Amino acid sequence: MTATTIGDQLAGPAVSAPPPRPKARAGPVEWIIVHIAFVAISAFFLVPFLWLLSAAFDGKASAYLQLPVEPTIMNFVRIFTEHDFAHVLANSVFVAVATMILVVFSVSLAGYSLSRLDLRRKDWITYAVLLLQTMPISATMVPIYGLARQLGLRNSYLGLILIHAAIELPFLIWLMKGFFDSIPRHLEEAAWLDGRSKLRALYEIVLPLARPGLGIAAGLAFLSAWAEVLMVVILIDQDNLKTVPLAFYEAMRTQGGYTEVQFGVIAAMAVIYLLPVMVVFFAARRLMVRGLMSSTRGL
Amino acid sequence: MAVVRRGRLARNRLYLAGLSPAAFLLALFFVGPALWALGSSFTNRALVGIDAANPRFVGLDNYVRLFGDPDFGRVILNSVIFVIGSAIIGQFVLGLGLALLLDYAQRRGFLASNFVYAAVLLAWVNPTIIAGFLWVAMFDFYNGSLNTGLHVLGVQPINWLGQGPMLAVIIANTWRGAAFTMLIFLGALRTIPTDIYEAARVDGANAYRRFWDHTLPILRPIAALTLLSITMATFGTFILIQTLTNGGPAFQTEVIALYAFHEAFQNHAVGYGSTISVVMLALNLGFAIVFLRWSRARA
Repeated sequence: MTATTIGDQLAGPAVSAPPPRPKARAGPVEWIIVHIAFVAISAFFLVPFLWLLSAAFDGKASAYLQLPVEPTIMNFVRIFTEHDFAHVLANSVFVAVATMILVVFSVSLAGYSLSRLDLRRKDWITYAVLLLQTMPISATMVPIYGLARQLGLRNSYLGLILIHAAIELPFLIWLMKGFFDSIPRHLEEAAWLDGRSKLRALYEIVLPLARPGLGIAAGLAFLSAWAEVLMVVILIDQDNLKTVPLAFYEAMRTQGGYTEVQFGVIAAMAVIYLLPVMVVFFAARRLMVRGLMSSTRGL
Repeated sequence: MAVVRRGRLARNRLYLAGLSPAAFLLALFFVGPALWALGSSFTNRALVGIDAANPRFVGLDNYVRLFGDPDFGRVILNSVIFVIGSAIIGQFVLGLGLALLLDYAQRRGFLASNFVYAAVLLAWVNPTIIAGFLWVAMFDFYNGSLNTGLHVLGVQPINWLGQGPMLAVIIANTWRGAAFTMLIFLGALRTIPTDIYEAARVDGANAYRRFWDHTLPILRPIAALTLLSITMATFGTFILIQTLTNGGPAFQTEVIALYAFHEAFQNHAVGYGSTISVVMLALNLGFAIVFLRWSRARA
């Protein structure tokens, strides 16, 4: 078994560049039919986002899709003045960066060790990790709440950071193992013979070569910790610890029913929440897709 | 020889140590909660009050209650409808259709296919809770884009979240997740050289025959795996339904993850909520084992 994650199992070629191939000819009728379908599909998938953008910059935003009736950036100003969003943003960045550091540390050790480990039953670790990858976090929400409460990890960033790191680990361990597999062993063995310790050889010789992989792991870990909402909802209920997903969740939950929904303000929050995701999406789409495909966890 | 052996054992011990930070996190937040849920499912553990501090052992009471609980029957039925509607019909059929269309368009060099591809992916990379918010606006009775669109077509507005909540959450989840199936099939289709179709066309095969003889055999082996993995992902859906309907109205969209959450955190029955989590985890484990067996059979 060489493919090690669900994404890899299913979609090797989907994430690599398509091979060059001869083009088939197309008649005008074909062209028209295909492009009519394209317009319908794009409308279905993009209208919600167009509405989001327009609502975020509209002082009189409603659910109706239109150009802003009252173009303004007041919605953004209001989330910073009324929802203390500067503090919330700082919290989110802190949690995401700390998660990223923890993930890079544990995943580089684990990926390297797994790559070099010489056991007959190494396959079993593959299966164990695959099983963990399919475990829905929505199923472990109740027990994680209970466990975190007993361990004193509620309302603490330590708990949040550890959980966010753990969620990303199964996929990233295998991603990094792949990178380390491609680095020849004789490089580190030469360093051992020079009298370097195993850890120093890893740090000075192997890790610099694995830098692209570490970059991917860091990016995906940051993004996942930034976007993840379930664990934040379960673990945090103090206002001063609130992160962006929780602020957004609360803003949504206090709406609806018989009160008028403040679409503009929530849309502005959503735009800020989305921003890092979009940046990575447009800068490194293949990578992000690969990271997301690795998991079947429902959110 | 003995020296080499000892060297290997010593190194393996170091590598196992290198695995330990990651293993610790995985044990704490994947294995730990599963065991905690199993333990709590045999108790009357509550969220608050005396049963929170000192839960009592109640044997199989929770399981007996669960399997006689008419609400749980309804929840399972809802989950099955949701999975069939949004994963097996919605995401799978739409994703397959999109893959076939985009592959067809790419083979003819239609540049707009890149735009459509990105539009579909955008809905998928965007955090699920934002997807929920976007669809709250889309489904709005008076102003939502869906009813506006229907009005243009001359159809009466529909009270999506009130009258047809299950259909509404199915549409939203289809929108969010169609990209996964699309990516997988697009990857598979790219492995088919264009010449095969050309040759078949020259031999006089019509479009239907070309699809049946050349395309389908390539897609069939991964179709089962894809269906299984989107079923697993959809089965764990929580945040999308919570933001759209929170299981209502009148329990019509209460799926299993929401039921566990509501029992534990609204009815304060953590023991009972854990029991539901255990059932979820067991079902998911079953799916995952089937998935592993099928993917091994393929490899």
